[in-house]
Amino acid sequence: MEQNRRGAQASYVALTIFIAVWIFMPSAVRRLNREAFTEFQAPAMHLVSKSRDLARFWELKSRSSEDMAAAGRDLARVNAALELKLADFEDVRRENKRLRKIDSYTVPADYMSVVARVASRDSSSWWNRIVIRKGRNDGIRPGAPVVFGNSVVGRVAAVHLTTSEVDLVTSPGFRCTAFLEGDEQNRIVLVNGLAGNSLRAPQARISVIPVDYDERVGQVSKVYTTGMGGVFPSHLILGTIDLESQATKPGVSFKEGRLNPVRDLYNLQEVSVLVPLHQNPGEALLDQFQ
Amino acid sequence: MGWAWLILLLATYPWLLGADLATDMLASIGVITFISGACIIAPCRRLRPIQAVPFAACIGFLFEARRPIPDGTLAITLVAASIFLTANKPLLRNTPRLLRAAIITNTLACIAWCIAVTLALDTPPGVRPATPWVQFILQVSLATILGAAAYLPISMVQNFAMDRIGIPPAADTP
Repeated sequence: MEQNRRGAQASYVALTIFIAVWIFMPSAVRRLNREAFTEFQAPAMHLVSKSRDLARFWELKSRSSEDMAAAGRDLARVNAALELKLADFEDVRRENKRLRKIDSYTVPADYMSVVARVASRDSSSWWNRIVIRKGRNDGIRPGAPVVFGNSVVGRVAAVHLTTSEVDLVTSPGFRCTAFLEGDEQNRIVLVNGLAGNSLRAPQARISVIPVDYDERVGQVSKVYTTGMGGVFPSHLILGTIDLESQATKPGVSFKEGRLNPVRDLYNLQEVSVLVPLHQNPGEALLDQFQ
Repeated sequence: MGWAWLILLLATYPWLLGADLATDMLASIGVITFISGACIIAPCRRLRPIQAVPFAACIGFLFEARRPIPDGTLAITLVAASIFLTANKPLLRNTPRLLRAAIITNTLACIAWCIAVTLALDTPPGVRPATPWVQFILQVSLATILGAAAYLPISMVQNFAMDRIGIPPAADTP
């Protein structure tokens, strides 16, 4: 027992030394460590996500043959079977519509579109992220915008070999500039993710809204990207502004509002990553330092 | 068995993956299913400190890897917990004590990463940060419940793995 305690004292000293070394260690070592543990988990994430796709495929396939068997066995059930089959076609139609929608946005010439499936979602007050099944091997780079159709989903926060982490619009780390629909002077506002509470739909904050910005009565105003800063192409939809929560305080020259994403960010199955074809100044600067 | 902790880590990993899948399912309500603290209890009872420490560190790093938590926060917390637990094995003498240790460790580890991530939260200048107290309380409460609920099944798998790789059972009177 006494030996255990003495051993523990030595361990605590070793731990203190390790913490000191860890704090002053070059960030490259810490990044390498993080990367190693992420890559260790990546195959499992891929496996689980692909198994889910496969299960869905077999579920649909078995449903279809069941329908056909039912149709053959009993004439009285033909109508029901056909209805089920119609429902299947409806599923296919919806899938087709969804895929067409994702492809509907004309990708600007400066970007390459990489469609990726969502592997997992991770959300809390402190981060709202999704992990996608495309990574460095597919040409994805950190900071690339992630969209669905013509609406912004988020921005690539970290890239690994076969997976990437995407900060959603509602994540506290996300920020960009935007224009408000209905503002004829096209004044720039700031959008940043909001560290909110659970059990409530995630939102983002819109700040620096000019006080004379008129609310359009009875209409929902959209918020668009400006295209400034070189990250997001212009005129992508970030969401809609929550007019009810806009509050004007006396003596303050700007208003604030809430941004509601146009899509349910936690039910997306595929997203498009817009990878810039040319390095932006930020990336070039990073390359210089690395 | 110098590599016993690594084999044990591989045996524990499916539980961590299961927790990640549960987090994926609960993404719309914004909570994380956190069980890393409960995962280190059974190994701390039977492994030597030199084996328990890398095991705890890896469990911590696995959780941190895909999340914007300051590097090493959870790993160091779990390593400190594993040193304390391996030095005070009477605290892990019987099942109720093990369960209590799982609850306390999981809760404390959750508090540690919540505080670290709150302090590291990057808010733009001039924008007041929201106070995620409700989230904090909800997250810590969930970690406490999960610590209690997940400990027994996890320890069953871990004990089975430790039996198979020939780690001697814990003494009744450590």
